[in-house]
Amino acid sequence: MRFLEASIESLGAKITGWFAVGYGTFAFLGRALLLLLDRTTWNRATFDVVVKQVYFTAVQILHVFLGYALIISWLIVTIILSTAREFGLTEFAMEMTIRVLVLELLPFLTALFVALRSGSAINTEIALMRVNNELDALAHCKVPPMQFEFLPRLIGGVVSVVALASLAGLLALLLAYLSIYGLSMAGFEAFTRTVARIFDFRIVAGLAVKCALFGLAVTLIPVTAGLETPKKLFMVPVSVLRGMMRVFFAIVAIEVLSLALKYI
Amino acid sequence: MTALGDDVARVAPDLPLRANLSALDNIALIPLYQRHYDAADSARQALAMLDALGHATIAPLRDPDMTPAQRFVTQLARALMLRRPRLVIDRPGAMLYDVPYPDFIRRLAAQPAMSGTWDIYDFSWNQVLYPR
Amino acid sequence: MNATSNPFHFKVGLFAAGTLLLVGVFLVYLLHARGVFEPTYRLNLAATSADGVAPGVPLVFSGIEIGSVASLGLNDDGGIVIRIELLQRNAKWLRQTSSFTLDKPLVGGAKIRVDSPDLKAEPLPDGSTMLLVTSDVSKEIPALVERVKAILANVEHLTRQDGEINATLANVKTVTDRMTGDYGVLEGILGSPEKARAVTDSLEKTRALVAKLDSLALRMDGMAAKTDSWLFDPNGVAEHTRESLVQVRHMLDDAQSSLKKADALMANAVDISANVKDGTQDIAKLRAEIDDAVRKANALVNEINKKWPFARDPEVKLP
Repeated sequence: MRFLEASIESLGAKITGWFAVGYGTFAFLGRALLLLLDRTTWNRATFDVVVKQVYFTAVQILHVFLGYALIISWLIVTIILSTAREFGLTEFAMEMTIRVLVLELLPFLTALFVALRSGSAINTEIALMRVNNELDALAHCKVPPMQFEFLPRLIGGVVSVVALASLAGLLALLLAYLSIYGLSMAGFEAFTRTVARIFDFRIVAGLAVKCALFGLAVTLIPVTAGLETPKKLFMVPVSVLRGMMRVFFAIVAIEVLSLALKYI
Repeated sequence: MTALGDDVARVAPDLPLRANLSALDNIALIPLYQRHYDAADSARQALAMLDALGHATIAPLRDPDMTPAQRFVTQLARALMLRRPRLVIDRPGAMLYDVPYPDFIRRLAAQPAMSGTWDIYDFSWNQVLYPR
Repeated sequence: MNATSNPFHFKVGLFAAGTLLLVGVFLVYLLHARGVFEPTYRLNLAATSADGVAPGVPLVFSGIEIGSVASLGLNDDGGIVIRIELLQRNAKWLRQTSSFTLDKPLVGGAKIRVDSPDLKAEPLPDGSTMLLVTSDVSKEIPALVERVKAILANVEHLTRQDGEINATLANVKTVTDRMTGDYGVLEGILGSPEKARAVTDSLEKTRALVAKLDSLALRMDGMAAKTDSWLFDPNGVAEHTRESLVQVRHMLDDAQSSLKKADALMANAVDISANVKDGTQDIAKLRAEIDDAVRKANALVNEINKKWPFARDPEVKLP
């Protein structure tokens, strides 16, 4: 009986914890969005920090990322193509490639890539800022860190994931065309028709929103997780661990939601 | 010490610099985000403050690259930039362990551009260091 | 934080400009592909049923999509009007002589097929209305299966224990048994040895009479000739026997040919649904039933043939 009581209590504590985390995250997002509406946010300094964030999140890893996207795309295109030929469904190969790679897999992998690289870094940095009292120092100076520490990271994350996912998608499209039709313009009309059929307004807008949400998830969640860190140095790894778990769940949740909205 | 009000600017070991910003950027944050000057203007004001303290050369250094004295100067410049009526230096010995600090602070305070009250809070056993 | 001294700006600027340029080019290409820069050509199709047609169903010419269904609606007379939109550049494939067919293949989505046998005919003007014909394989399959089922039901009805064929064959059996009995064909026809004996008795009497008459009088030959004609006249007893046996044979032939028909339909259905997994299971069951029925019928036919040798190959061939 006591065991049951204890498990119910721990379950309740967990659920309350999740709600608290969710509420904290969304409240933080709300404050960030409110700040976006503030005219004073839109100055040269914020822009510079955003540029710096985009540099570290996207530009610095661009060649690695594109190489990785190239290999993944080439593999998937080859698999789809050979399978389609085997079953005599070659006319569906292009559509399948675009749907699998450009619409689902590449944005998802981009989000994972940025989460692993920048998300974890952001989480650690914010946690260290908190543990080292740097945030208290900023508070003493009455300089809100949101504008030059957090908001640029969110914007940088969104911009980076959207840009990287679009570049990877375009690369995959090019690769798919080359794999199916080779170096000739012969298949261009068929390719154009397939592209026109798949990318209607809803799909393009949905893709953009999904990538933006991915970008937000891989930066917003590490920031809030870092801010929750207790002021003890040994809690920094724990904070990063929790933050990255949440990022992973959020990415999967966004992907599942987008699939559900698209195909159900 | 945390009970001190909003009219006090503190220089204290528990108020470190932002680690990944240069000395100049740490100081420039205040005009930039509190008074909404543009970036170039804020940088100019920060540099002027460092210059007034006789340490303009440390402007591009980041926290880990500075000596304790340079770090203290940057923290002091940041506190002065707040332009609050009182300045409190909290346990200077904990921050200035590489220089004879009462003299160092006195020399900084003697710079021509400095004004206002500087209060130093230190441990009682260090009283002998401050000739009255 | 001077902008010119920021080392990130150039690279980030390059990255942003490159990405924006590529995405912009792709968006323009997409708008071009979707025909935003081209006038739209409209076509109306009149159909009896809108079943399977929905906005987005492609209009296909020679296997290549040239347009799609924009909307569906009813006209004032309750007829269905399917509005199709295609790009002006694709309108050249539509001619006055073109025919439009709604294809619903078992694999893949529905599509409207255009056949333009004469590409030199007058082009179809914008906004014209054509007739849409349905060729729906998936709709035919249930009908086909229904027909096969009906035939099978008939076959089963014919071949079941108390069915007509069984009864007939049982009759045939008794007839043939009797024929092989003491009194041969006459017993078979007349139903019992007693009656047959009566006939043979009377025949015997006649013969005896004939013999008597033969031995007694000169006009006996005429009598004998008369008896012969009674037996072998077209309206005679033996002729009746042959007729009834021919009838039995016809019935068996009927059963056999209907089985063959079922079999052909079956083969057809199997061919059509060769690609459909779900269908195959039902059809396999159906097929087993048919096989069983055919085997039964074959056995019966063989049995008859053993007893009554018809000069024909009785086997029902299976695909």
